[in-house]
Amino acid sequence: MPQHLFELILFSTYAELRAERSRSYLGLIWWIAEPAMMMAAFWLVFDVILKTGGPGYLPFLLVGLTVWQWMKSCITHGGHAIWTNLGLIRQARLPVLVFPFVQMLADTIKFLFIFALLLVILWVIGYPPSLSYLALPIVFAVTLLFAAGVGFLVAAVVPLIPDLRFVIEQVLTVVMFLSGVVFALDSVPSPLREVIALNPVATLLDATRGILMHAQWPDWPALLKVCIISAIVFAIGIGVVRQLAPRYPKLAV
Amino acid sequence: MSAPLIELEHVGVAFSAQRRVGSGKFWALEDVSLSLRQGERLGVIGRNGAGKSTLLRVLAGILRPDRGQMRRDRVSCQLLSLALGFTPYLSGRDNAILSGLMIGLRQREIIARLPAIKEFSELGDFFEQPIASYSSGMVMRLGFSVAIQAEPDVLLIDEVLAVGDAEFQEKSGAALRERMRQGHTVVLVSHDETQVSALCDRLLWVEHGRSVREGPRDEVFAAYHDELVHPEGGA
Repeated sequence: MPQHLFELILFSTYAELRAERSRSYLGLIWWIAEPAMMMAAFWLVFDVILKTGGPGYLPFLLVGLTVWQWMKSCITHGGHAIWTNLGLIRQARLPVLVFPFVQMLADTIKFLFIFALLLVILWVIGYPPSLSYLALPIVFAVTLLFAAGVGFLVAAVVPLIPDLRFVIEQVLTVVMFLSGVVFALDSVPSPLREVIALNPVATLLDATRGILMHAQWPDWPALLKVCIISAIVFAIGIGVVRQLAPRYPKLAV
Repeated sequence: MSAPLIELEHVGVAFSAQRRVGSGKFWALEDVSLSLRQGERLGVIGRNGAGKSTLLRVLAGILRPDRGQMRRDRVSCQLLSLALGFTPYLSGRDNAILSGLMIGLRQREIIARLPAIKEFSELGDFFEQPIASYSSGMVMRLGFSVAIQAEPDVLLIDEVLAVGDAEFQEKSGAALRERMRQGHTVVLVSHDETQVSALCDRLLWVEHGRSVREGPRDEVFAAYHDELVHPEGGA
């Protein structure tokens, strides 16, 4: 990557985070408060009211939602990035991949910040660090690869068909429930459970929870499979963006 | 004579008419040919909707021709765009850096020029404030001060010669003319004939997306005026 682009990406990411901070009264506090409120809502519904949580539900939910929120923001923010920057794309000759990339980088920085806090919470409530933490960078790298791949695919198509934004939001909600973010998939009846288990998000969440809650090493063959799927999705995503790139400057803002 | 930096041969660019399934195309540029050499200052004239701005975006490498040939040396072409990438919640300083990066400068180059940008934009202490608190004139002043820092091999200008109040218009116009006199290769689109006469040595006349005539300034102007007074063949 030319150094100039590298500088542009870094500075845009800084600008994005900084602008986000200034857009609200509480600024950075929302980085924590927003996911915390969401976790509280799910905990209230599934654990307190429906009593389906069971022991260990709180850490299960915290880990699941933290990782899922990261993936989801990469997909939605990255996915909208080319569309929201069409005005710029019409005026300047920039590689369009920069825009989704900046959003994903900003979301990843936010995630790392929230994740550090999550670790502290886990340690306090009785899930100490273990040697299996060494596998976390690998699991996260695959997670990012998958989310970025899907994000690029969405980013490629949304400028041409903006109507898709409404669909994607709903699809992601369904995927969240089908990936064991808020409830364990063990409670799903058998044939369906195996189908759901093919979902890469479920494998990634399992791996992360295993490491953080049970000091377990990831299921390497499963992780490798997800890694290969992610790499393919990523390659397709980038390919489609590059293929469609000449059309973006012609689109109405 | 040196080989042309950029050459267009019968270039056309099509847009879809609207965002609907199966909507038709329209050709904003139908058939434009031109050649631009090192150090030339080419003016593009023609009526509204003739495709002048689209042509500049082709030259800038933003739009790819849908037909015809475009040949370009390894030169950077930059459209002079004011306030490119400006973000309301960022300070004038951060916006200057961001915008500078987008027009192709390196970060250290922009940082070195920040004092000059601050001075030229006459923003004073506002330079450190979010530009959401600026008046539109202040935003344009900052935008111009950053845009003028670009140093492409070929500078493309689309009628933004003067911005802000009368005094700043004078100053920004002068700065731009100075840049053009420094021997840069320039393509200028403008309705202002006095300006084009003063700044360009060659002209390209575009009508309905087609290049009608390209040549020395006075010759093309004469033909253009002739056409305006005695229009031939409808149009």
